[in-house]
Amino acid sequence: MGEDDEQMKGYRQQPGKLPFRKPGSGGSKQFSDLRDLSYIPQSEGGDRPQPRGLNRHDHLLTSSSIGRRTPLIDSQWKVTGQAHYGDDVRLRGELIGKILRSPHHYAKIRSIDTSAAEALSGVVCVLTGKNHTNAFGVLPVTKDEHALAVEKVRHVGDLVASVAAIDEATALQALQLIKVDYEILEPVHDMKKAIEDSDNPIHDRGKYHIGEANIQKRVFQEFGNIAGVKDSAASSSVKWSFAGINHGFTEPHAAVAHWDPSGRLTLYTPQQVPHYVHRSLADVLEIPMHQINVHRTFVGGGFGGKSDPFPHEMCAAIMARQTGKPVRITFDREEVFWTNRGRHPSKLEMVVHADTSGRICGIETDALIDGGSFASFGHVTTYYNGVLHTAPYEIGSFHYTGARVWTNKPASGAMRGHGAVNSRCAVESAIDDVCEQLGVDPITFRLANLLPPNSTTITGFRVTSIGMRECLERVREASGWDEKFRKMPLGRGIGIGCGFFISGSGLPIHWDPNKFPHATVHLKIDMDGGVTVHTGAADIGQGSDTVVGQSVAEVLGLPLEMIRVKSRDSDTSPVDLGSYSSRVTFMNANAAISAAMKIREELLAATADITGADPKRLVIGDRRIYDKKDPAVGVSYLEALHKAQEERGALVSSGAYRTPPMGSTHKGAAAGLAPAYSFSAYVAEVEVDAETGQTKVIEAWAAHDCGRALNPLAVEGQIIGSCHMGMGQVLSEEMVYGRTGHLQNPSFLEYKIPSIHEMPKVTPIIVESNDPEGPFGAKEAGEGPLLPILPAVVNAVYDAIGIRVDELPITPDRMYKRIEKKVKKLGIDSPLELPNPTLQTSPLHDDLLARAAAHAERDLARKLDVNRAPYHNGAIFGLKPEIAPEEQMDGWVISVLPSEEYMASPRPAGSAWKHVERRHRGVE
Amino acid sequence: MEVIGRSIKKGEGHEGIGEAMVGQERISMIPTAPEVSWSALVNGQNIECHIESNAILLDVIRDEVGALGVKRGCDMGTCGCCTVLVDGEPKLSCLTLAGEVSGKEITTVEGLADGHHLHPIQDMFAKHGGSQCGFCTPGFLLVSSALLEKNNSPTDAEIKSAIEGNLCRCTGYQPIVDSIQAAAELMRTDAESVDSTTAKADPHPGFSGENEGGHTA
Repeated sequence: MGEDDEQMKGYRQQPGKLPFRKPGSGGSKQFSDLRDLSYIPQSEGGDRPQPRGLNRHDHLLTSSSIGRRTPLIDSQWKVTGQAHYGDDVRLRGELIGKILRSPHHYAKIRSIDTSAAEALSGVVCVLTGKNHTNAFGVLPVTKDEHALAVEKVRHVGDLVASVAAIDEATALQALQLIKVDYEILEPVHDMKKAIEDSDNPIHDRGKYHIGEANIQKRVFQEFGNIAGVKDSAASSSVKWSFAGINHGFTEPHAAVAHWDPSGRLTLYTPQQVPHYVHRSLADVLEIPMHQINVHRTFVGGGFGGKSDPFPHEMCAAIMARQTGKPVRITFDREEVFWTNRGRHPSKLEMVVHADTSGRICGIETDALIDGGSFASFGHVTTYYNGVLHTAPYEIGSFHYTGARVWTNKPASGAMRGHGAVNSRCAVESAIDDVCEQLGVDPITFRLANLLPPNSTTITGFRVTSIGMRECLERVREASGWDEKFRKMPLGRGIGIGCGFFISGSGLPIHWDPNKFPHATVHLKIDMDGGVTVHTGAADIGQGSDTVVGQSVAEVLGLPLEMIRVKSRDSDTSPVDLGSYSSRVTFMNANAAISAAMKIREELLAATADITGADPKRLVIGDRRIYDKKDPAVGVSYLEALHKAQEERGALVSSGAYRTPPMGSTHKGAAAGLAPAYSFSAYVAEVEVDAETGQTKVIEAWAAHDCGRALNPLAVEGQIIGSCHMGMGQVLSEEMVYGRTGHLQNPSFLEYKIPSIHEMPKVTPIIVESNDPEGPFGAKEAGEGPLLPILPAVVNAVYDAIGIRVDELPITPDRMYKRIEKKVKKLGIDSPLELPNPTLQTSPLHDDLLARAAAHAERDLARKLDVNRAPYHNGAIFGLKPEIAPEEQMDGWVISVLPSEEYMASPRPAGSAWKHVERRHRGVE
Repeated sequence: MEVIGRSIKKGEGHEGIGEAMVGQERISMIPTAPEVSWSALVNGQNIECHIESNAILLDVIRDEVGALGVKRGCDMGTCGCCTVLVDGEPKLSCLTLAGEVSGKEITTVEGLADGHHLHPIQDMFAKHGGSQCGFCTPGFLLVSSALLEKNNSPTDAEIKSAIEGNLCRCTGYQPIVDSIQAAAELMRTDAESVDSTTAKADPHPGFSGENEGGHTA
């Protein structure tokens, strides 16, 4: 054997005779760390307790990253000013785009004269809707938006024309030169009026149009034993009014469009959902999707407000195409409010019934929601207002009527806690009221009415892990509930609220009937050992790049600094459905794990090849792969990698996630279906000044079940941030529409986002229920944590002053009016004499304590028993849990169409069903 | 008839200032201002440029100086994203005429770090979750660095009063206060942050347990 041959045997056998220097091991530390056993589960030989059982990803844990407080991997860019957001994309030769907006609520456009604007020197392009009539929209069934208004404007601020010019001043001048001849139409601003027939509905849905009204979507759902509510021992019925609110993200919308010399478009945009923009651009521009690259810039906050494809993005693309130059459009804050897509102004009627055994025998909800002038996510929002409050409690019947109407306001859309926030506030407040009537503690009542893990809700949702019980128990303890509830002086109060939210949407909006995955992640590892992760998940500040990177780092045993996440360009990222419905961690981390597992297999095989060890005994530690029984037998990560790369070069892999089949079959059954659900319970302590009506939150304790906190730093950030946003809605934020329907406060001066001084101390409490399908057991933490803070504050206000709030926000003037009214009614002299609510516990309270204790045992047993029987909602009412209630009880109803009996006296939203769709009236 | 647009702004047209002829019509235009020369020491660099005399500092910094780390959030002094330091004092650049600060020293977020050594406040915002989406971060960093410059052991109440003009929609402020406290501690101990360009890969990898054996992980 010659010397050359010996060298080629491999450097492990020939120390000092290497053909090349060993490359770096990766990582800034010289030596591998031992595995930190406190992060390795006991079932894998570590010290981490597993009170909630095993997880399918347990064997992949290397103690590298998961579960550690991890700074966001892009934070260095953000703290140095190097993070480039929409308006920071500056291309050479750019033109500045500006939008001409409608001054009218509702008008037909007779004509637009752009000649003067076009003639202005420095103006390169003036655009109207005339030649760009292709419609788009976020939901394929309701494409009702255009780049610019085609025939009519539907709200003040609707887009009429756009200009591209050499600078902003010229563009603004040009807007003034555009002459629009409007024929003003009678606008509709009132939701109840919008239910009625109109001479001129805001949109025309053709044969699917409901009556001749402004009803965008209506939902009717009836489940369970409706007769059961007849013998209810307590019921609460409240008519709620919720103001519309705006996301209030700090970065205004912006977009830059550029067509490169090959004729391809790149759109730079701070988007939560780049893929839908991609599709919409193809629709509007009539070019194939592969001719478009959507580049997601840094996103200065989204919260749902940057998840629609937007008309200005279309305008930028069209004007850049026509001018041959890059076009940048940036909104000012007022334009952000005109674009809106915030939480719907809503009128809600909420009735909750409880029986003599302290069970929730019925929930009746009627939600009339104001969609403004476009559909946006409206179909989904209308369903979510109902179906997302059918858990975490076991309920005897559920009756929901919902309607979303068009009005001549800026469009409402998806906002953090999409569709679930207002009805959650109402139902939790009603439960508080019912508990008051029954003489029971509201936390005990909730603990005695929870669905167990691995159960089915009344509408057929499959719920897997549930940490609700632990959330309630922990906030009860942390807040000192038992010493405070109904025991504090007048003006000081404490309240509880719970939440339930989807962790990803089971039904991908665009995919059916194709079986595309919801999320895909690609990995590439070349000889340098660094891992390039390609994901389409849109990091909007929540840390999705970080969590995807962490998942890969964990499985491969690498420090996070060796992972680089590329998630910006649709050209290089696999398709992802975007950052909405709290889907990103669940779906993308699952896809990332699956991609990393493939690389892991190759590394283990290569290690076995080099060392001759049994691959089944190999484990991955920090940059090293070794025999778990004999750690001296092993190789460094890079040695294994280089062995695996022999003859083929870089390792690449692809992993994907798709939800399992689930859910019922009734119409609308897919809305609210999710592969997992998050749960939360918050306690808020408030101070209400009886003499001024000023309400202040003093402190909050926030327990959220996110399955497993992959990055506790980020989870806590989401919990505290959600409290902030929810407190804004409950105390001060409101889009004020005046008597003429005009939005009066499109600025941060009058739209009151809580400042540091309004923000109380929040104690975040992370509950880990270990979800069987979540990545390492994780579920969502981005939206669910917002829900409970509203009812917690509302219920605390009652505890403080004995007044049930029915209108948000609780501004001092509104609160004072209610105090004044009550003082008058009671005939007392001063608000300081108002009676302070007290709790007289009834005998039922002991029954509930006993039931809660029994259920706690039941729940833990169900969680740990892999051979558990099915559990259907209804068992608490004496039905067999293994069988679906409708299969064992005659009176158990499942209906999605109103009966004639109901239509005899419908509630406000339910009255949308008095109309007949055009196709059923024989009108084409 | 020839249409004069931009040329009017430059004072070359025949119509009155702020007017243009379009066809037969006289149209009022946005009033314009004369150009003046402007200079300032921005992040240690002397910048000279020509600006309109009524130019807003935010526009000049973003569009002329090119410091895009200064963010535009509202244009009316309500969000604090556009904060810069003028001679060490926080100022809302959207409410400041560039002319007011001509010849002064201006610090933006780009000027906080010393080369690749982050300012403690930058380091701690990253580590303690003080920055989520990051858009409000530059403003918070500047007001809090100005605070810590004067007072490196602030109380929570002092921090709150320093950042009261800044809106953050992501964090709920609590992690921001934590970050500022952590930075204050770093500044009290004069600790220096790590140069971000130091080698991340070690040329001679090893394994601490390789020759010792005996561990069972």
